[in-house]
Amino acid sequence: MITDRVLTIWRRELQRDDIAVDDNFFAVGGQSVIMAKIQWAFIEELDVEIPVDQMFRNPTVASIAAYIESLHT
Amino acid sequence: MILQGKRVALPSAPVVHKRFEAHAEATPDAVAVVCAGRRTTYAELNARANRFAHHLIARGHGRGAKVGVCLDYSTDMVVAILGTLKAGAAYVPFDPSYPAARLRLLLGQVPGLALIVASPATAGLVASAAVEVVDIEGLSDHLATLPATAPDVRITGDDVCYAVFTSGSTGTPKTAAVRHEGWFNLLNWLTLEYGLHAGSHNLVVSAFGFDLSQRSLMAPLFCGATQYLMASRNFDAAMAYRMLDQHDIRVVHCASSTLYLLVDWETARGGDALTRLDYMLFGGEPLHAERLTDWARRAGNTCTLLHQYGVAECTDVATSFDLAGYRPGVHDIAPVGTPAYNTDIHVLDDRMRQVAPGEYGEICISGPSVGAGYLNGAGPESDRFTTVVADGEPLRLYRTGDRGHVNEAGDLVIAGRMDAQVKVRGMRIDPADVERALGRLAGVRQAAVVVDRTDAGDAELIAFLVPEDGDLDDNDVRARLLEALPRNMVPTRFRNVPRIPLSPHGKVDRAALAEELRQAGIS
Repeated sequence: MITDRVLTIWRRELQRDDIAVDDNFFAVGGQSVIMAKIQWAFIEELDVEIPVDQMFRNPTVASIAAYIESLHT
Repeated sequence: MILQGKRVALPSAPVVHKRFEAHAEATPDAVAVVCAGRRTTYAELNARANRFAHHLIARGHGRGAKVGVCLDYSTDMVVAILGTLKAGAAYVPFDPSYPAARLRLLLGQVPGLALIVASPATAGLVASAAVEVVDIEGLSDHLATLPATAPDVRITGDDVCYAVFTSGSTGTPKTAAVRHEGWFNLLNWLTLEYGLHAGSHNLVVSAFGFDLSQRSLMAPLFCGATQYLMASRNFDAAMAYRMLDQHDIRVVHCASSTLYLLVDWETARGGDALTRLDYMLFGGEPLHAERLTDWARRAGNTCTLLHQYGVAECTDVATSFDLAGYRPGVHDIAPVGTPAYNTDIHVLDDRMRQVAPGEYGEICISGPSVGAGYLNGAGPESDRFTTVVADGEPLRLYRTGDRGHVNEAGDLVIAGRMDAQVKVRGMRIDPADVERALGRLAGVRQAAVVVDRTDAGDAELIAFLVPEDGDLDDNDVRARLLEALPRNMVPTRFRNVPRIPLSPHGKVDRAALAEELRQAGIS
Protein backbone atom coordinates (compact mmCIF):
# COMPACT_ATOMS: atom_id res chain seq x y z
CA MET A 1 0.00 0.00 0.00
CA ILE A 2 1.36 3.39 -1.02
CA THR A 3 -0.36 5.01 1.98
CA ASP A 4 1.58 2.86 4.46
CA ARG A 5 4.89 3.56 2.74
CA VAL A 6 4.20 7.32 2.64
CA LEU A 7 3.19 7.26 6.31
CA THR A 8 6.43 5.47 7.20
CA ILE A 9 8.44 8.13 5.33
CA TRP A 10 6.55 11.00 7.02
CA ARG A 11 6.97 9.54 10.50
CA ARG A 12 10.67 9.02 9.93
CA GLU A 13 11.37 12.47 8.46
CA LEU A 14 9.15 14.33 10.93
CA GLN A 15 10.52 12.18 13.77
CA ARG A 16 7.05 11.58 15.16
CA ASP A 17 5.28 8.25 15.60
CA ASP A 18 1.87 9.76 16.29
CA ILE A 19 1.13 11.00 12.78
CA ALA A 20 -2.18 9.93 11.24
CA VAL A 21 -3.06 9.81 7.55
CA ASP A 22 -5.27 12.90 7.82
CA ASP A 23 -2.80 15.12 9.70
CA ASN A 24 -1.70 18.29 7.92
CA PHE A 25 2.03 18.27 7.21
CA PHE A 26 2.57 21.81 8.46
CA ALA A 27 0.31 21.45 11.49
CA VAL A 28 2.45 18.55 12.76
CA GLY A 29 5.59 20.66 12.48
CA GLY A 30 6.64 20.16 8.87
CA GLN A 31 8.76 22.78 7.10
CA SER A 32 10.63 23.22 3.85
CA VAL A 33 13.77 21.30 4.80
CA ILE A 34 11.72 18.27 5.92
CA MET A 35 9.63 18.53 2.76
CA ALA A 36 12.79 18.32 0.63
CA LYS A 37 13.81 15.18 2.57
CA ILE A 38 10.41 13.63 1.93
CA GLN A 39 10.65 14.56 -1.75
CA TRP A 40 14.02 12.82 -1.83
CA ALA A 41 12.63 9.75 -0.02
CA PHE A 42 9.80 9.49 -2.57
CA ILE A 43 12.38 9.39 -5.36
CA GLU A 44 14.61 6.87 -3.60
CA GLU A 45 11.98 4.57 -2.13
CA LEU A 46 8.90 4.97 -4.32
CA ASP A 47 10.73 5.85 -7.55
CA VAL A 48 8.52 8.87 -8.14
CA GLU A 49 9.40 12.60 -8.25
CA ILE A 50 6.62 14.68 -6.74
CA PRO A 51 6.72 18.45 -7.40
CA VAL A 52 6.78 20.43 -4.15
CA ASP A 53 3.75 22.44 -5.30
CA GLN A 54 1.81 19.13 -5.42
CA MET A 55 2.97 18.34 -1.89
CA PHE A 56 1.55 21.69 -0.81
CA ARG A 57 -1.75 20.98 -2.53
CA ASN A 58 -1.86 17.52 -0.93
CA PRO A 59 -0.66 18.18 2.63
CA THR A 60 -1.81 14.90 4.20
CA VAL A 61 -0.52 11.36 3.88
CA ALA A 62 -3.90 10.28 2.52
CA SER A 63 -4.06 12.90 -0.21
CA ILE A 64 -0.45 12.72 -1.38
CA ALA A 65 -0.69 8.91 -1.44
CA ALA A 66 -3.82 9.20 -3.58
CA TYR A 67 -1.95 11.60 -5.87
CA ILE A 68 0.95 9.15 -6.22
CA GLU A 69 -1.53 6.32 -6.95
CA SER A 70 -3.10 8.45 -9.66
CA LEU A 71 0.26 8.72 -11.43
CA HIS A 72 0.38 4.96 -11.84
CA THR A 73 -3.01 4.60 -13.46
CA MET B 1 36.90 50.42 14.07
CA ILE B 2 35.97 51.12 10.47
CA LEU B 3 36.21 48.97 7.34
CA GLN B 4 36.15 50.98 4.14
CA GLY B 5 34.96 49.57 0.84
CA LYS B 6 36.82 50.40 -2.34
CA ARG B 7 35.63 53.68 -3.87
CA VAL B 8 34.24 53.10 -7.34
CA ALA B 9 32.53 55.95 -9.20
CA LEU B 10 28.91 55.46 -10.22
CA PRO B 11 27.28 56.99 -13.31
CA SER B 12 25.50 60.33 -12.80
CA ALA B 13 22.14 58.54 -12.95
CA PRO B 14 22.76 55.16 -11.30
CA VAL B 15 19.47 53.62 -12.40
CA VAL B 16 19.33 49.83 -12.47
CA HIS B 17 17.05 49.20 -15.45
CA LYS B 18 19.14 51.49 -17.68
CA ARG B 19 21.79 48.76 -17.62
CA PHE B 20 19.20 46.23 -18.76
CA GLU B 21 18.12 48.62 -21.53
CA ALA B 22 21.73 48.98 -22.70
CA HIS B 23 21.95 45.19 -23.06
CA ALA B 24 18.62 45.12 -24.90
CA GLU B 25 20.13 47.65 -27.33
CA ALA B 26 23.49 45.90 -27.70
CA THR B 27 22.36 42.24 -27.72
CA PRO B 28 18.64 42.27 -28.58
CA ASP B 29 18.55 38.59 -29.52
CA ALA B 30 20.25 37.33 -26.36
CA VAL B 31 17.93 35.31 -24.12
CA ALA B 32 16.83 37.30 -21.08
CA VAL B 33 14.41 34.91 -19.37
CA VAL B 34 13.75 31.18 -19.55
CA CYS B 35 10.64 30.02 -17.72
CA ALA B 36 8.58 26.85 -18.18
CA GLY B 37 10.44 26.08 -21.40
CA ARG B 38 9.71 29.52 -22.94
CA ARG B 39 12.56 31.80 -23.97
CA THR B 40 12.19 35.58 -24.08
CA THR B 41 14.88 37.72 -25.69
CA TYR B 42 16.20 40.99 -24.33
CA ALA B 43 14.44 42.91 -27.13
CA GLU B 44 11.13 41.17 -26.47
CA LEU B 45 11.34 41.62 -22.69
CA ASN B 46 12.30 45.28 -23.09
CA ALA B 47 9.34 45.95 -25.40
CA ARG B 48 6.90 44.20 -23.05
CA ALA B 49 8.25 46.09 -20.04
CA ASN B 50 8.02 49.40 -21.93
CA ARG B 51 4.37 48.71 -22.75
CA PHE B 52 3.63 47.90 -19.14
CA ALA B 53 5.37 51.13 -18.08
CA HIS B 54 3.22 53.14 -20.50
CA HIS B 55 0.14 51.49 -19.03
CA LEU B 56 1.14 52.46 -15.47
CA ILE B 57 1.97 56.03 -16.47
CA ALA B 58 -1.33 56.42 -18.35
CA ARG B 59 -3.12 55.32 -15.16
CA GLY B 60 -1.27 57.99 -13.19
CA HIS B 61 1.15 55.55 -11.50
CA GLY B 62 4.41 57.10 -12.63
CA ARG B 63 7.42 58.41 -10.79
CA GLY B 64 7.24 57.88 -7.03
CA ALA B 65 4.29 55.45 -7.14
CA LYS B 66 4.35 52.15 -5.23
CA VAL B 67 3.22 49.14 -7.23
CA GLY B 68 2.46 45.85 -5.49
CA VAL B 69 3.51 42.71 -7.35
CA CYS B 70 1.80 39.49 -6.28
CA LEU B 71 2.90 36.97 -8.90
CA ASP B 72 4.54 33.57 -9.10
CA TYR B 73 7.95 33.46 -10.75
CA SER B 74 7.24 33.97 -14.44
CA THR B 75 8.22 36.11 -17.41
CA ASP B 76 5.20 38.26 -16.51
CA MET B 77 6.77 38.95 -13.11
CA VAL B 78 9.96 40.25 -14.75
CA VAL B 79 7.84 42.37 -17.13
CA ALA B 80 5.92 43.84 -14.17
CA ILE B 81 9.12 44.63 -12.24
CA LEU B 82 10.98 46.21 -15.16
CA GLY B 83 7.86 48.05 -16.31
CA THR B 84 7.33 49.46 -12.83
CA LEU B 85 10.93 50.69 -12.67
CA LYS B 86 10.71 52.20 -16.16
CA ALA B 87 7.61 54.13 -15.10
CA GLY B 88 9.72 55.64 -12.31
CA ALA B 89 7.77 53.74 -9.68
CA ALA B 90 8.93 51.29 -7.01
CA TYR B 91 7.69 47.70 -6.77
CA VAL B 92 6.72 45.94 -3.57
CA PRO B 93 6.81 42.11 -3.61
CA PHE B 94 3.77 40.39 -2.11
CA ASP B 95 4.91 36.78 -1.83
CA PRO B 96 2.14 34.44 -3.03
CA SER B 97 3.50 31.68 -0.79
CA TYR B 98 2.32 33.70 2.24
CA PRO B 99 -1.15 33.12 3.69
CA ALA B 100 -3.82 35.62 2.62
CA ALA B 101 -4.16 36.95 6.19
CA ARG B 102 -0.47 37.86 6.28
CA LEU B 103 -0.72 39.53 2.88
CA ARG B 104 -3.70 41.52 4.19
CA LEU B 105 -1.56 42.78 7.08
CA LEU B 106 1.31 43.66 4.70
CA LEU B 107 -1.07 45.50 2.33
CA GLY B 108 -1.74 47.91 5.17
CA GLN B 109 1.96 48.70 5.52
CA VAL B 110 2.41 50.43 2.15
CA PRO B 111 1.04 53.98 2.36
CA GLY B 112 -0.17 55.22 -1.03
CA LEU B 113 -0.02 51.79 -2.68
CA ALA B 114 -1.15 52.47 -6.28
CA LEU B 115 -2.30 49.06 -7.42
CA ILE B 116 -1.41 45.39 -7.30
CA VAL B 117 -0.29 43.36 -10.28
CA ALA B 118 -1.56 39.78 -9.97
CA SER B 119 -2.51 36.77 -12.08
CA PRO B 120 -5.56 34.48 -12.04
CA ALA B 121 -3.51 32.17 -9.77
CA THR B 122 -2.71 34.88 -7.19
CA ALA B 123 -5.51 37.46 -7.35
CA GLY B 124 -7.55 35.70 -4.66
CA LEU B 125 -4.71 36.13 -2.16
CA VAL B 126 -4.85 39.93 -2.36
CA ALA B 127 -8.60 40.27 -2.87
CA SER B 128 -8.80 42.19 0.43
CA ALA B 129 -6.76 45.06 -1.03
CA ALA B 130 -8.33 48.51 -0.96
CA VAL B 131 -6.66 49.27 -4.29
CA GLU B 132 -7.20 47.91 -7.80
CA VAL B 133 -5.87 44.41 -8.49
CA VAL B 134 -4.78 44.14 -12.13
CA ASP B 135 -4.59 40.76 -13.88
CA ILE B 136 -1.44 41.02 -16.00
CA GLU B 137 -2.52 38.05 -18.14
CA GLY B 138 -5.88 39.63 -18.94
CA LEU B 139 -4.13 42.87 -19.82
CA SER B 140 -2.07 41.47 -22.70
CA ASP B 141 -4.40 42.55 -25.53
CA HIS B 142 -4.51 46.09 -24.20
CA LEU B 143 -0.74 46.23 -23.63
CA ALA B 144 -0.14 45.18 -27.24
CA THR B 145 -1.68 48.48 -28.37
CA LEU B 146 0.82 50.59 -26.36
CA PRO B 147 4.22 51.86 -27.61
CA ALA B 148 7.13 49.40 -27.40
CA THR B 149 9.58 52.25 -26.85
CA ALA B 150 10.82 53.37 -23.44
CA PRO B 151 8.73 56.08 -21.77
CA ASP B 152 10.48 59.38 -21.16
CA VAL B 153 10.77 59.47 -17.39
CA ARG B 154 13.53 61.21 -15.48
CA ILE B 155 14.70 58.94 -12.64
CA THR B 156 17.54 59.67 -10.22
CA GLY B 157 19.65 57.44 -8.01
CA ASP B 158 17.70 58.70 -5.03
CA ASP B 159 14.36 57.35 -6.29
CA VAL B 160 13.04 54.25 -4.54
CA CYS B 161 13.23 51.12 -6.71
CA TYR B 162 11.74 48.46 -4.42
CA ALA B 163 10.57 47.95 -0.86
CA VAL B 164 10.50 44.67 1.09
CA PHE B 165 8.88 43.70 4.37
CA THR B 166 10.86 42.94 7.49
CA SER B 167 9.65 41.85 10.89
CA GLY B 168 9.06 44.70 13.37
CA SER B 169 9.77 44.91 17.08
CA THR B 170 6.34 46.35 17.85
CA GLY B 171 4.66 43.37 16.19
CA THR B 172 3.96 45.26 12.95
CA PRO B 173 6.06 44.46 9.87
CA LYS B 174 8.22 47.28 8.52
CA THR B 175 8.49 48.18 4.83
CA ALA B 176 12.16 48.87 4.03
CA ALA B 177 12.65 51.04 0.95
CA VAL B 178 15.74 50.70 -1.26
CA ARG B 179 17.03 53.39 -3.63
CA HIS B 180 18.26 52.93 -7.22
CA GLU B 181 21.72 54.23 -6.29
CA GLY B 182 22.13 51.55 -3.63
CA TRP B 183 20.83 48.75 -5.84
CA PHE B 184 22.98 49.90 -8.76
CA ASN B 185 26.03 50.04 -6.49
CA LEU B 186 25.33 46.48 -5.24
CA LEU B 187 24.91 45.00 -8.71
CA ASN B 188 27.85 46.98 -10.12
CA TRP B 189 30.07 45.71 -7.28
CA LEU B 190 29.06 42.07 -7.82
CA THR B 191 29.59 42.42 -11.58
CA LEU B 192 33.04 44.06 -11.41
CA GLU B 193 34.42 42.39 -8.29
CA TYR B 194 33.43 38.86 -9.33
CA GLY B 195 33.71 39.28 -13.09
CA LEU B 196 30.07 38.53 -13.87
CA HIS B 197 29.33 38.75 -17.60
CA ALA B 198 26.83 37.92 -20.35
CA GLY B 199 27.42 34.22 -19.64
CA SER B 200 26.71 34.48 -15.90
CA HIS B 201 23.31 32.80 -16.21
CA ASN B 202 21.32 32.69 -12.98
CA LEU B 203 18.72 30.46 -11.33
CA VAL B 204 16.35 31.96 -8.75
CA VAL B 205 15.83 29.56 -5.82
CA SER B 206 14.62 31.94 -3.07
CA ALA B 207 11.10 33.09 -2.21
CA PHE B 208 9.97 36.36 -3.83
CA GLY B 209 9.53 38.20 -0.50
CA PHE B 210 13.24 38.06 0.43
CA ASP B 211 15.51 40.99 -0.33
CA LEU B 212 18.05 38.57 -1.76
CA SER B 213 15.48 37.55 -4.37
CA GLN B 214 15.40 41.10 -5.75
CA ARG B 215 19.16 40.88 -6.31
CA SER B 216 18.87 37.39 -7.78
CA LEU B 217 16.12 38.59 -10.14
CA MET B 218 18.04 41.62 -11.41
CA ALA B 219 21.69 40.46 -11.40
CA PRO B 220 21.65 38.50 -14.69
CA LEU B 221 19.74 41.29 -16.47
CA PHE B 222 22.30 43.79 -15.16
CA CYS B 223 25.15 41.88 -16.82
CA GLY B 224 23.40 40.72 -20.00
CA ALA B 225 22.98 37.10 -18.96
CA THR B 226 19.96 34.75 -18.87
CA GLN B 227 17.57 34.45 -15.97
CA TYR B 228 16.17 30.95 -15.32
CA LEU B 229 12.94 30.84 -13.33
CA MET B 230 11.26 27.79 -11.85
CA ALA B 231 7.54 27.43 -12.45
CA SER B 232 6.98 26.52 -8.81
CA ARG B 233 5.46 28.62 -6.05
CA ASN B 234 7.55 26.90 -3.40
CA PHE B 235 11.22 25.94 -3.42
CA ASP B 236 11.53 22.56 -5.12
CA ALA B 237 14.93 20.93 -4.61
CA ALA B 238 14.41 18.25 -7.27
CA MET B 239 13.33 20.81 -9.86
CA ALA B 240 16.13 23.23 -8.93
CA TYR B 241 18.76 20.53 -9.18
CA ARG B 242 17.45 19.31 -12.51
CA MET B 243 17.55 22.85 -13.94
CA LEU B 244 21.10 23.34 -12.69
CA ASP B 245 22.04 20.04 -14.29
CA GLN B 246 20.41 20.69 -17.66
CA HIS B 247 21.19 24.36 -18.28
CA ASP B 248 24.39 26.36 -18.38
CA ILE B 249 23.63 28.15 -15.11
CA ARG B 250 26.66 29.79 -13.47
CA VAL B 251 25.36 31.70 -10.44
CA VAL B 252 22.93 30.99 -7.58
CA HIS B 253 21.98 33.42 -4.79
CA CYS B 254 20.33 31.81 -1.75
CA ALA B 255 19.89 31.62 2.01
CA SER B 256 22.40 29.35 3.77
CA SER B 257 19.65 26.83 4.60
CA THR B 258 18.90 26.42 0.87
CA LEU B 259 22.59 25.98 0.14
CA TYR B 260 22.78 23.04 2.60
CA LEU B 261 19.74 21.46 0.92
CA LEU B 262 21.28 21.74 -2.54
CA VAL B 263 24.65 20.47 -1.36
CA ASP B 264 23.01 17.52 0.45
CA TRP B 265 21.02 16.77 -2.67
CA GLU B 266 24.14 16.68 -4.83
CA THR B 267 26.07 14.65 -2.27
CA ALA B 268 23.30 12.04 -2.05
CA ARG B 269 22.74 11.98 -5.81
CA GLY B 270 26.37 12.01 -6.86
CA GLY B 271 25.98 14.74 -9.50
CA ASP B 272 28.26 17.68 -10.23
CA ALA B 273 25.88 20.50 -11.22
CA LEU B 274 26.79 22.59 -8.15
CA THR B 275 30.53 22.02 -8.32
CA ARG B 276 30.41 23.25 -11.93
CA LEU B 277 28.93 26.63 -10.95
CA ASP B 278 31.03 29.80 -10.86
CA TYR B 279 29.44 31.25 -7.72
CA MET B 280 27.00 30.60 -4.95
CA LEU B 281 26.27 33.72 -2.90
CA PHE B 282 24.62 33.04 0.42
CA GLY B 283 24.19 34.22 3.99
CA GLY B 284 21.43 35.62 6.13
CA GLU B 285 21.96 33.37 9.14
CA PRO B 286 24.86 31.91 11.15
CA LEU B 287 26.79 29.56 8.87
CA HIS B 288 27.41 25.88 9.61
CA ALA B 289 30.50 25.63 7.43
CA GLU B 290 31.03 22.00 8.43
CA ARG B 291 27.95 21.06 6.41
CA LEU B 292 29.77 22.25 3.29
CA THR B 293 33.33 21.06 3.93
CA ASP B 294 33.25 17.62 2.27
CA TRP B 295 31.43 18.93 -0.77
CA ALA B 296 33.70 21.99 -1.07
CA ARG B 297 36.78 19.74 -1.14
CA ARG B 298 35.53 17.58 -4.00
CA ALA B 299 38.03 17.29 -6.85
CA GLY B 300 37.23 19.58 -9.75
CA ASN B 301 34.96 21.85 -7.70
CA THR B 302 35.11 25.24 -9.44
CA CYS B 303 32.34 26.90 -7.45
CA THR B 304 33.38 29.89 -5.35
CA LEU B 305 31.33 30.20 -2.16
CA LEU B 306 30.68 33.82 -1.17
CA HIS B 307 29.56 34.13 2.44
CA GLN B 308 27.77 37.47 2.68
CA TYR B 309 26.27 39.77 5.25
CA GLY B 310 23.76 42.56 4.93
CA VAL B 311 20.38 43.96 5.93
CA ALA B 312 17.31 44.80 3.86
CA GLU B 313 17.46 48.42 5.11
CA CYS B 314 20.86 48.85 3.42
CA THR B 315 20.20 47.19 0.07
CA ASP B 316 20.66 43.57 1.00
CA VAL B 317 24.44 42.96 0.95
CA ALA B 318 27.12 44.93 2.81
CA THR B 319 30.10 42.55 2.94
CA SER B 320 31.40 39.40 1.27
CA PHE B 321 33.91 36.67 2.12
CA ASP B 322 35.36 33.94 -0.10
CA LEU B 323 34.78 30.86 2.05
CA ALA B 324 37.95 29.26 0.63
CA GLY B 325 39.78 31.50 3.13
CA TYR B 326 37.90 30.04 6.09
CA ARG B 327 40.14 28.22 8.59
CA PRO B 328 37.96 26.25 11.01
CA GLY B 329 40.81 25.84 13.53
CA VAL B 330 41.57 29.57 13.54
CA HIS B 331 38.16 31.13 12.99
CA ASP B 332 35.53 30.44 15.60
CA ILE B 333 32.82 31.75 13.26
CA ALA B 334 33.09 31.96 9.48
CA PRO B 335 33.79 35.66 8.69
CA VAL B 336 31.60 37.71 6.36
CA GLY B 337 34.55 39.56 4.92
CA THR B 338 35.05 43.05 3.59
CA PRO B 339 32.63 45.74 2.40
CA ALA B 340 31.01 46.21 -0.99
CA TYR B 341 32.20 49.15 -3.10
CA ASN B 342 31.55 52.58 -1.59
CA THR B 343 30.27 50.93 1.59
CA ASP B 344 31.75 51.51 5.05
CA ILE B 345 31.25 49.27 8.07
CA HIS B 346 31.55 51.00 11.44
CA VAL B 347 31.81 48.99 14.65
CA LEU B 348 30.53 51.31 17.39
CA ASP B 349 29.94 51.19 21.12
CA ASP B 350 26.69 52.18 22.82
CA ARG B 351 27.71 55.85 22.68
CA MET B 352 28.35 55.68 18.94
CA ARG B 353 32.13 55.78 19.38
CA GLN B 354 34.38 53.51 17.33
CA VAL B 355 35.63 50.46 19.21
CA ALA B 356 39.28 49.39 19.04
CA PRO B 357 40.29 46.82 16.40
CA GLY B 358 39.17 43.35 17.49
CA GLU B 359 36.65 44.64 19.99
CA TYR B 360 32.96 43.92 19.73
CA GLY B 361 30.37 46.56 18.98
CA GLU B 362 27.24 47.30 17.01
CA ILE B 363 27.65 47.05 13.25
CA CYS B 364 26.63 50.22 11.45
CA ILE B 365 26.60 50.85 7.71
CA SER B 366 27.15 54.02 5.69
CA GLY B 367 27.37 54.69 1.97
CA PRO B 368 25.00 54.67 -1.01
CA SER B 369 23.41 51.40 0.13
CA VAL B 370 21.71 53.05 3.12
CA GLY B 371 18.06 52.91 2.11
CA ALA B 372 15.28 55.45 2.16
CA GLY B 373 13.97 54.22 5.52
CA TYR B 374 10.60 52.61 6.13
CA LEU B 375 7.59 53.48 4.00
CA ASN B 376 5.42 52.97 7.09
CA GLY B 377 7.58 55.51 8.92
CA ALA B 378 6.89 55.86 12.60
CA GLY B 379 8.07 53.38 15.20
CA PRO B 380 11.25 52.77 17.16
CA GLU B 381 12.97 51.09 14.19
CA SER B 382 13.14 54.39 12.28
CA ASP B 383 15.60 55.72 14.88
CA ARG B 384 18.12 53.23 13.56
CA PHE B 385 18.55 55.48 10.52
CA THR B 386 20.69 58.24 11.94
CA THR B 387 23.12 60.96 10.93
CA VAL B 388 26.54 61.38 12.54
CA VAL B 389 29.29 63.89 11.87
CA ALA B 390 32.43 62.42 10.26
CA ASP B 391 35.33 64.64 9.21
CA GLY B 392 33.08 67.66 9.70
CA GLU B 393 30.48 66.32 7.25
CA PRO B 394 27.10 64.80 8.06
CA LEU B 395 27.09 61.05 7.38
CA ARG B 396 23.94 58.96 7.06
CA LEU B 397 24.31 55.77 9.05
CA TYR B 398 22.16 52.72 9.71
CA ARG B 399 22.52 50.91 13.03
CA THR B 400 21.89 47.25 12.19
CA GLY B 401 21.40 45.90 15.71
CA ASP B 402 23.90 43.15 14.83
CA ARG B 403 26.92 42.58 17.09
CA GLY B 404 30.32 41.85 15.67
CA HIS B 405 34.00 42.62 15.42
CA VAL B 406 36.81 42.87 12.87
CA ASN B 407 39.39 40.07 13.14
CA GLU B 408 43.18 40.30 12.67
CA ALA B 409 42.85 39.65 8.94
CA GLY B 410 40.56 42.66 8.61
CA ASP B 411 37.40 40.61 8.02
CA LEU B 412 34.08 41.33 9.66
CA VAL B 413 32.68 38.62 11.95
CA ILE B 414 29.04 38.64 13.06
CA ALA B 415 28.44 37.41 16.60
CA GLY B 416 24.67 37.79 16.93
CA ARG B 417 21.89 40.27 17.60
CA MET B 418 21.72 43.03 20.21
CA ASP B 419 17.95 42.43 20.49
CA ALA B 420 15.60 39.45 20.38
CA GLN B 421 15.46 39.20 16.57
CA VAL B 422 16.48 35.96 14.90
CA LYS B 423 16.92 34.52 11.42
CA VAL B 424 14.99 31.36 10.61
CA ARG B 425 15.87 29.84 7.24
CA GLY B 426 17.04 33.26 6.10
CA MET B 427 13.99 35.19 7.25
CA ARG B 428 14.55 37.91 9.86
CA ILE B 429 11.93 37.52 12.55
CA ASP B 430 11.10 39.61 15.58
CA PRO B 431 9.45 37.42 18.25
CA ALA B 432 7.01 40.31 18.91
CA ASP B 433 5.59 39.84 15.41
CA VAL B 434 4.83 36.17 16.19
CA GLU B 435 3.53 37.00 19.67
CA ARG B 436 1.03 39.41 18.17
CA ALA B 437 -0.35 36.76 15.81
CA LEU B 438 -0.54 34.23 18.66
CA GLY B 439 -2.32 36.74 20.89
CA ARG B 440 -5.05 37.08 18.28
CA LEU B 441 -5.91 33.37 18.29
CA ALA B 442 -9.04 32.34 20.16
CA GLY B 443 -8.17 30.61 23.42
CA VAL B 444 -4.82 32.39 23.84
CA ARG B 445 -4.75 34.86 26.73
CA GLN B 446 -1.09 35.79 26.35
CA ALA B 447 1.92 34.55 24.41
CA ALA B 448 5.69 34.90 24.47
CA VAL B 449 8.15 33.58 21.91
CA VAL B 450 11.79 32.75 22.57
CA VAL B 451 14.58 31.49 20.34
CA ASP B 452 16.25 28.14 20.89
CA ARG B 453 18.71 26.06 18.87
CA THR B 454 18.04 22.59 17.49
CA ASP B 455 20.59 19.80 17.92
CA ALA B 456 21.87 20.69 14.44
CA GLY B 457 22.39 24.28 15.59
CA ASP B 458 19.54 25.88 13.65
CA ALA B 459 17.46 28.62 15.24
CA GLU B 460 13.91 27.66 16.14
CA LEU B 461 11.05 29.51 17.80
CA ILE B 462 9.41 28.23 20.98
CA ALA B 463 6.05 29.68 21.98
CA PHE B 464 4.86 29.96 25.58
CA LEU B 465 1.10 30.22 25.77
CA VAL B 466 -1.16 31.26 28.62
CA PRO B 467 -4.47 29.59 27.70
CA GLU B 468 -7.87 31.17 28.34
CA ASP B 469 -9.30 27.88 29.58
CA GLY B 470 -7.78 24.44 29.18
CA ASP B 471 -4.37 23.67 27.69
CA LEU B 472 -3.99 24.40 23.99
CA ASP B 473 -3.10 21.59 21.57
CA ASP B 474 0.16 22.08 19.59
CA ASN B 475 -1.15 20.89 16.25
CA ASP B 476 -4.28 23.00 16.53
CA VAL B 477 -2.40 26.19 17.41
CA ARG B 478 0.14 25.55 14.66
CA ALA B 479 -2.58 24.96 12.06
CA ARG B 480 -4.36 28.18 13.00
CA LEU B 481 -1.12 30.15 13.06
CA LEU B 482 -0.27 28.92 9.54
CA GLU B 483 -3.33 30.83 8.37
CA ALA B 484 -1.82 34.05 9.71
CA LEU B 485 1.95 33.85 9.30
CA PRO B 486 4.60 32.75 6.77
CA ARG B 487 5.76 29.23 7.63
CA ASN B 488 9.20 30.31 8.83
CA MET B 489 7.51 32.45 11.49
CA VAL B 490 5.45 29.61 12.97
CA PRO B 491 7.09 28.24 16.15
CA THR B 492 8.24 24.63 16.11
CA ARG B 493 7.25 23.96 19.71
CA PHE B 494 4.52 25.20 22.06
CA ARG B 495 4.29 25.10 25.82
CA ASN B 496 1.28 25.92 28.00
CA VAL B 497 2.23 27.99 31.05
CA PRO B 498 0.13 29.58 33.83
CA ARG B 499 1.76 33.01 33.35
CA ILE B 500 4.48 34.82 31.37
CA PRO B 501 7.35 36.08 33.55
CA LEU B 502 7.98 39.81 33.25
CA SER B 503 11.18 41.78 33.74
CA PRO B 504 11.26 44.68 36.24
CA HIS B 505 10.45 46.96 33.28
CA GLY B 506 7.25 45.04 32.61
CA LYS B 507 8.55 43.44 29.41
CA VAL B 508 8.51 39.72 28.62
CA ASP B 509 11.46 38.17 30.44
CA ARG B 510 12.87 36.03 27.64
CA ALA B 511 15.89 35.00 29.69
CA ALA B 512 13.61 33.54 32.38
CA LEU B 513 11.65 31.66 29.73
CA ALA B 514 14.81 30.29 28.15
CA GLU B 515 15.90 29.15 31.62
CA GLU B 516 12.54 27.46 32.11
CA LEU B 517 13.09 25.61 28.83
CA ARG B 518 16.45 24.38 29.99
CA GLN B 519 15.11 23.25 33.35
CA ALA B 520 12.19 21.45 31.72
CA GLY B 521 14.76 19.62 29.65
CA ILE B 522 12.87 20.04 26.42
CA SER B 523 15.60 22.03 24.75
